Amino acid sequence: MTATLPLPATQALQVLTIAIGAPGISGVIARVEARLQGRVGPRILQPYYDLAKLFRKEALAPAGVGPFFLLAPIFSLACYLTVPMLIPVLTSYPLPLGYMGDILGGGFILALASFVVAVAAAETGNPYAQLASSRAKTFGAITEPVVLLVVFSVALVTTTDLPYALSATVLSGPDQIVRPAHLLASAALFMVILFETGRIPIETHTGTIEFGMIEEGRSFEHSGPHLALLRWGSAAKQMVLYTILINVFIAPWGLSSTTRVDQIAFAIFAFLGKCAVLGCVVAVIDDSFAKLRLLKITEFVAAAFLLAVLGVFTLYLGGG
Amino acid sequence: MLDVTLTHLATLGSSAAASTAPIQTGSAVASTMHVVAATGVAVVPTVFEGAANTVAVIVLLLEFMMLRTALFRAQIRLYAFQSLAVSVLAVVVAAGRDIPELYVLAVVSLLLKVIIVPRVMLRFLRDSRAEIAGSGALGVASEIILALVVAGFGFFTVGALGIQSPVLPTAALGLSFAVVLVSFVLMIVRRDVVSQAVGFFSLENGVSLASLVVAAGLPLILEVAFLFDLLVAVVVFGVLIRVHQTRSSSLSTVSLNRLRG
Amino acid sequence: MNVVLLLIVVLPLLAIAVGLVVGRRVTQLVTGLSGIATFGLAMALIPGVGGHEIGHRVSAIGILRADSLSVVFVLATSFLYAATAIYSVGYLAAEARLAERLGGDEAAEFARYSRRFYVGMNIFAWSMLCAPLVNGLALLWVAIEITTVVSALLVAIDNTEGATEAAWKYVLIASSGLGIALLATIVMYYAGAQAMGQSYDLAFDPLIQSAHDLPATPVRLAFVLAVVGFGTKVGLFPVHTWLPDAHAEAPTPVSALLSGSLLAVSFYAILRFYQVALARLGPAFPQNVLLVFGVLSLLLAALYVIDQNDIKRLLAYSSVEHMGILAIGVSFGAPLALTGVLLHVLAHAAAKGNAFMGAGVLVRAYGTKSLTTIRGGLDRLPWSGPLFLIAILALSAFPPFGIFRSEFEIVAGGLQASRHTGAVILVALVTLAFMGLGLATTRILFHSSHPDSSTHPDDIPAHDDDGQAVDVRATRPRTTLVPPHNSNNPDTDTVLSGVAAATATSVRVTSARGLFAAHPAGARQPGERVSAAADDPNERLVDEMARTSSGRGEPSIWMVIPPVVGVLILLVLGVHPPAALVELLEHGAALLVGGAQ
Repeated sequence: MTATLPLPATQALQVLTIAIGAPGISGVIARVEARLQGRVGPRILQPYYDLAKLFRKEALAPAGVGPFFLLAPIFSLACYLTVPMLIPVLTSYPLPLGYMGDILGGGFILALASFVVAVAAAETGNPYAQLASSRAKTFGAITEPVVLLVVFSVALVTTTDLPYALSATVLSGPDQIVRPAHLLASAALFMVILFETGRIPIETHTGTIEFGMIEEGRSFEHSGPHLALLRWGSAAKQMVLYTILINVFIAPWGLSSTTRVDQIAFAIFAFLGKCAVLGCVVAVIDDSFAKLRLLKITEFVAAAFLLAVLGVFTLYLGGG
Repeated sequence: MLDVTLTHLATLGSSAAASTAPIQTGSAVASTMHVVAATGVAVVPTVFEGAANTVAVIVLLLEFMMLRTALFRAQIRLYAFQSLAVSVLAVVVAAGRDIPELYVLAVVSLLLKVIIVPRVMLRFLRDSRAEIAGSGALGVASEIILALVVAGFGFFTVGALGIQSPVLPTAALGLSFAVVLVSFVLMIVRRDVVSQAVGFFSLENGVSLASLVVAAGLPLILEVAFLFDLLVAVVVFGVLIRVHQTRSSSLSTVSLNRLRG
Repeated sequence: MNVVLLLIVVLPLLAIAVGLVVGRRVTQLVTGLSGIATFGLAMALIPGVGGHEIGHRVSAIGILRADSLSVVFVLATSFLYAATAIYSVGYLAAEARLAERLGGDEAAEFARYSRRFYVGMNIFAWSMLCAPLVNGLALLWVAIEITTVVSALLVAIDNTEGATEAAWKYVLIASSGLGIALLATIVMYYAGAQAMGQSYDLAFDPLIQSAHDLPATPVRLAFVLAVVGFGTKVGLFPVHTWLPDAHAEAPTPVSALLSGSLLAVSFYAILRFYQVALARLGPAFPQNVLLVFGVLSLLLAALYVIDQNDIKRLLAYSSVEHMGILAIGVSFGAPLALTGVLLHVLAHAAAKGNAFMGAGVLVRAYGTKSLTTIRGGLDRLPWSGPLFLIAILALSAFPPFGIFRSEFEIVAGGLQASRHTGAVILVALVTLAFMGLGLATTRILFHSSHPDSSTHPDDIPAHDDDGQAVDVRATRPRTTLVPPHNSNNPDTDTVLSGVAAATATSVRVTSARGLFAAHPAGARQPGERVSAAADDPNERLVDEMARTSSGRGEPSIWMVIPPVVGVLILLVLGVHPPAALVELLEHGAALLVGGAQ
């Protein structure tokens, strides 16, 4: 019999996995993307070096901004790291704080973080930052219904809105996976994730300064440790969203179903591997599509909306 | 596996030393899920039904994609894919419900609708210089939402009728009516002859879908007669497209506004 | 009897085959003979089916089946087939003469045109004859789909801008409607399969016999879908939009077939679904559905008829009106009303065929379809004018014609069944439509052919020095402007048309009573003429006709004979229908009263 890990420790490990793994996943994506474009690309660990460098730098703030501007990066990162407590990252069974919030609760926390960042950006006088935050909120408003509908279809499938319950449902057998509602909701969620993490076809992710920026534009006026926190936060957000998609919707296999140390250690590696695979898929999409014109983003969201609505429709008819 | 998970859910839910409300939620979840697991198939569709429904959903999604496609060739290709999905569904039904006739139907419809009809259409378009269809009468997002409303209407109307089929789940019937209705939207909002023609052909795909659900046992000879009728219609559509094109040297229907009153 | 059935289906096929291999003259002859023979065979079916007990049916080779209901529609179709086959001889005569004189490309082009025309018309008639004779809803759908695609090509055959547009709208709307009808057929199959197992083929008799075991909801769904789907081809209210376009732009014989026969045959399909729905659901639901569609169609048509400027569209809307009357008549449900409905199918076929054929002559003679331009038809066309007038009167249900009797029976049946509101609406709307038809007809037939200059200052070019000069000026631009059917030899064409025009002018001048004084150009606005003339093949035919016809203004004897026969039939139907026919109609009505026996 191998050693077991106490539940609180597992819970802490979930958060740590996300916090520490997140920049690495960003690095994997950047690397794969570069390789697909025929470049050598940065090291996978490059984001960690970037963060370290930024943390060493001096923090500057535009004249006239309030304390909110300075607090926002910390607050948002805190939000992003709260969510891993609510979702199955390593274990297929709920951890003690797992019932603190359901999918909607997690969604609210993510939205709160994004709101805080947007408000902070709006506090500066920089037009890029303001434009980006206004766009983020505008398009955020139209993706909101999609997320809600995805939640609805989860709720209709599991009669709860707990991520663990859906994860268990998906694990229960192939009949739960091939049902159209599940596939449609997963596809819709994937599109929402592409939108939320600022990937093509929504925006370019390479940090070039351009007018179409949304995600990248908001951190325009932050610097030093604050910028590092924001970068880290958005990497964490990306990984949290990947976790939801992978461990709740499409591939909840490899999660630890016991408290044994070896199982949990395996779960960590399995999880990082799954995230890396998903990252590769995203990188491929990044390289095979063109960025949409700003106003065409509504069409992208409309497509996601369509998938989510159809998912709910099929469920209501009892055949989903 | 599920049972292990569920016991975990139950034990952890009740033993967790958190506030009372989450505990209740947790045990409620566990108990509901136990009920589901006990009653079995009543709620969860089987793999066969799920697969069939998924193919039907794909047919509908392709119909929605036709609303957006800007290129004539892509439009016809989408139609070919949609027909392919219908043929695949016929094979699924044939295999799952053991109706060997449907294999023949699947092959005939594959030949006709996936290969011959798109080829005929592309041939009729070969002389045309135009490649890009004009936009529809509405914006894409509005079109999608309109089509969604219409599809939802079809869905729930058919759902409310309570027509049960021994072959396929009712949802597939609702989906087929949705396909038919969305094809009407396609014909109405698009303003080029190719999209309108493809709209009609895909309407026929929707009807084929419906016939797989409620009329899988329809004598093969009749099904084949329907299909060949479609082929004749395709040729006539093609001829008229070509006539229209030589007269107005475009594929747009905007100029077709002379006859009124 | 089953030989007769088989012959009716085979004869038009022979005509098609002949049309494919030999030239126009033989095809004309064969088509005419085939039409007349079919009509004769259909009449032979009257005692064969109607003379026995109610519900007696004749069948052949497994898929053909005729009962008293089908025979009514076969009669209507075969009569119009014969009539239009004869009429087409005259309809194409002017073009044929022109083509012969021009020779070369023009003649080859015309030969192609006439081959397409005759083959198309024969297939069209064949499919419409098959539709009421096939046994089963599925085959019925197939036959009606064939009528759609063939008639769409016939609508487009003139290759004008309007014809192309009309054909596209027609094929798109009607095909979509038939898609719905196919859905109805499939749902009906599902309903039948619940009672009879999976392997039956939608044949009528088993379906109606086991109607009581069918599940109600699918039957209801199938009936509504059938009314909407086949109703598209009948021309019922919200889905009638293709109808006036197609009727107006098709060649006249095709218009007559479309209106008198195609609409009725599609209505026959609805009646078949009605039979099943009636047997399963009872009278209330199907009758109410038909009543709603019927009243709306009648209302719409009556309003459009009043304000209409195109003679063929006028008649097309009148068709919508009459289809509405049929639907309302069926919704009354009384045996008398149903007998009236079936009689109405026959009388409407004859009257509408006559009206279209008369309108075709008017259009040919005046070179326009505009009601504001056609004037003085009675003077100009000594036969066709009065025949057209009679057709319109018959359509407006004047005694002693057939439609008077049929509408009287429908209204009386409605009153008998205590459907007072429906009957009143019917009478009121029919009167409204009559007003529209009557006004338009009065204008085009009785008004002076010389409109006074106060109302139409631009109509007649000033007779400054002498009429001849004016005539030449008025005629030549038209003939040179108009391209013939895909002519690729404009030079010859211009020269020869100039000759034709000059000849026409001399005819006009020498004609003592000035039969052509109201020459085509004279009554038209100059600007309008140029634009309208741009691709109207009628324009040059007017000249051709003017050149070759002599004496009174009838273009061709062949365009007069069928309407005369039509009027005779209308009179027979109105004054004293033969006993065998009455028996047939009553049997047919009985099928619709109680479903099957």
